Amino acid sequence: MTALRRAAAAGGAPAGDPRRLTLERLYKVYVSRGESLLAVRDVSLKIEPGEFVTFLGPSGCGKSTVLNMLAGLESITDGSAHQGGRPITGVNTDVGYITQDDNLLPWRTLLDNVAFPLELRGVGKGERRERAHELLRSVGLAGFESAYPHELSGGMRKRGSIARTLLVDEPVILMDEPFGPLDAQTRLLLQDELLRLWSGSGKTIVFVTHDLVEAIALSDRIVIFTSTPGTIKSIHTIDIPRPRDVFHIYETDRFTELFDLLWAELREEITKARARH
Amino acid sequence: MAEIQTEPVTLLPSVPLDADEERLQLREVERTRQAQRRTLIWIVSWRLTLLVVLLFGWYFASGHIVDRLFASNPIDVAKAFGDYIGDGTLWYNLRYTLIEVAVGYGAGTVIALVAAGLLSIFTTAHRVLHPFLMALYAVPKIAIAPLMIMWFGLGLTPKFLLSGIFVFFVVFMNTLAGLRSVSPSLINVARVMGARRHQLLLKVVFPSATPNVLTAMRITVPEAMVGAIVGEFIAGNRGIGYLINSASNQYNTAGVFAGIIAILIVVLLMDSLVTLLERRLMRWRPPSAADR
Repeated sequence: MTALRRAAAAGGAPAGDPRRLTLERLYKVYVSRGESLLAVRDVSLKIEPGEFVTFLGPSGCGKSTVLNMLAGLESITDGSAHQGGRPITGVNTDVGYITQDDNLLPWRTLLDNVAFPLELRGVGKGERRERAHELLRSVGLAGFESAYPHELSGGMRKRGSIARTLLVDEPVILMDEPFGPLDAQTRLLLQDELLRLWSGSGKTIVFVTHDLVEAIALSDRIVIFTSTPGTIKSIHTIDIPRPRDVFHIYETDRFTELFDLLWAELREEITKARARH
Repeated sequence: MAEIQTEPVTLLPSVPLDADEERLQLREVERTRQAQRRTLIWIVSWRLTLLVVLLFGWYFASGHIVDRLFASNPIDVAKAFGDYIGDGTLWYNLRYTLIEVAVGYGAGTVIALVAAGLLSIFTTAHRVLHPFLMALYAVPKIAIAPLMIMWFGLGLTPKFLLSGIFVFFVVFMNTLAGLRSVSPSLINVARVMGARRHQLLLKVVFPSATPNVLTAMRITVPEAMVGAIVGEFIAGNRGIGYLINSASNQYNTAGVFAGIIAILIVVLLMDSLVTLLERRLMRWRPPSAADR
């Protein structure tokens, strides 16, 4: 990893940039209790360094499966996925990974939760606490360092979980419906915050959602998945200029156009998925 | 009583408060505390009342409704208890039982934790051993008491073993269940963060099993005592079990009750030690309605 970063920093082969993801003819077959299911079919995609790409599709369309294959948590049945020049085989520790649940450890204080990845890397207590402290301040959680997760609201826990991911400076962040369980206002605030933290960081974000508005507000490109077996139906570039205002973006004409276009495609897949269940 | 404690109130920062609002907040905290204290006092008074009623009931029923020879009465029991303390009988026997219970409970718990830890790592070994463990678990532990005496004689060893076996299975089964119920998504997130195998175990899997371990440790306090007492009943010339047995052979009902009360006190003390441990280890848990 560090070797890859060095190569990238030295202006080496751009293919070695650890922020680049290459998915080639990915397939996923699940086998359980004697039944098998083709969940992902022939997914090929190139994600550029620093890009914000969203996977959008009806639930159960395999978009999370693809994300988990990038995290190395799901084995790849056929095809290949590369980060930079390195094939993703085992668990991918060169990415940040955020899911619907905040996944904070309930027996740790917020500060110790955020410092957890540094602890795993053997960083000393003083340094990791100091760095976690700083990051908590930047996501507006100063003063809550010694609170346990159950004492915090869903939005605060999610902020904590984002802070924890940002603490170790990974080139790619994978987000699986991160704002799913939050209320509408908190969602907007966190979307805004995510864009603020991401802009200028140069990190690649792969974001999974089934919320079209969220997808348009955040992404550079939206990849629409078909219903099962999940495959790429279409890819759309979102040309709304940045910085974006997530609170007012839906008032623009371009937003409405994109929304109508994408909704037409998405609706087709949702209807198909419905018919099957 | 240690129970008369109110929940610690943490003041979480929300917004800067002015002096009046701060006073308001503190007043509400104080009010809540007082309400909690009142409820506790109420509950404790009811408990004491119930205890007194039971003792009086026992006192008046004995000799009228039930034969005094079999029922004794609270005053005779208190006298017998006092005599046992006075002539050193109680301490002489209790010491013995305490050692048995302490060793059995301690060793049983530690061995169970280690065994559960190992089997949660070596899953194949667990699958191989599972039917054997279930078979051992299914044997009523009391049934093996005579075997223990046959194998290890009349000394302390069979009592350690009996007490330990009573504790072992419950702690082992509960810990294993706790270790296996850890949330897979916590594990996944930690793995992506780069957690190694031993880090996953020490920092994610084991901590998430603590509630199960503590529950098991609470349930097994009386079990450890049962093991030791059964051992003393069957063979022994010292210990509270022996004391109860010999008192009953002499139709000394008050003596039997005095022995039972000694056991009761020891078990309650051990239980409060577990409660202290629980308070320390479980501070991170949301207070639940089940809490006293």
